[in-house]
Amino acid sequence: MRRGTFYLLGFLLLMLFDSIGAISFKYAGDHALPVEASIAWLLRIFTHPWVYGAVIGYIGAFFTWMTLLKHAPIGPAFAASHLEVVSVMLLSVWLFDEHLTLGRVLGALAILAGIVCLGFAESNEHVPEPEEVDSATRR
Amino acid sequence: MPATPITPLIATLWLLNVIIDTVGQLAFKAAAGDQAAGDGLARWIYMARRPWIWIGIGSYVIEFLIWIAFLSLLPLSEAILLGSINIVAIMVAGHFLFGEKLTRLRLSGILLVTLGVAIVGAVG
Repeated sequence: MRRGTFYLLGFLLLMLFDSIGAISFKYAGDHALPVEASIAWLLRIFTHPWVYGAVIGYIGAFFTWMTLLKHAPIGPAFAASHLEVVSVMLLSVWLFDEHLTLGRVLGALAILAGIVCLGFAESNEHVPEPEEVDSATRR
Repeated sequence: MPATPITPLIATLWLLNVIIDTVGQLAFKAAAGDQAAGDGLARWIYMARRPWIWIGIGSYVIEFLIWIAFLSLLPLSEAILLGSINIVAIMVAGHFLFGEKLTRLRLSGILLVTLGVAIVGAVG
């Protein structure tokens, strides 16, 4: 598989698992109040079905992530994996009746711009393979 | 849902989440980036015999509980944006521990993400 296709598919899969995880977490969290550091709280968390949706999201993201990390540097890979902030924010408006306040929209735009910068920083870092240099210098 | 004020409990959970996530991600990078690990199943066995992947998984488990607690106190759209600060923490840590370069473009990215998180934290 070409490297670009590998990254694209990997990051899309990661975004899907991360979104499933985040949505499940919120459903679980809605049943987690009040927050206490107690066994009763842990039991309440782990007997709630949505927690297992979050676990599936985690496990799927884990294996996707470990496969991606073998080739990608951690910083930019982590940044690209965070494009999920946008999908999750839009999904939470739809699923949880949350509002896109001005602060959230401005904040999300700045974060997105930051993530795009990090993505470009990564593509500028591309170091040519030895064969590429070799064939370019040979006449 | 209106903006939620950031209480000391929310701030503490947010900070713990950043710290533990950073530790976990660095441990995963240490596990995954080991060139001696080989390929396929042998790679997974090699990683399982070393502490890094287990430190990563342990961090995930703790972070799991912290994140549920955090989400129970905030709307998801706000929480997911505040959680983006982890990008910054991990890039800075990757710079110091793995020598990953902080170019001008990466620094701009870091500043923009930080600005975004600050806006969400201040306005909600």
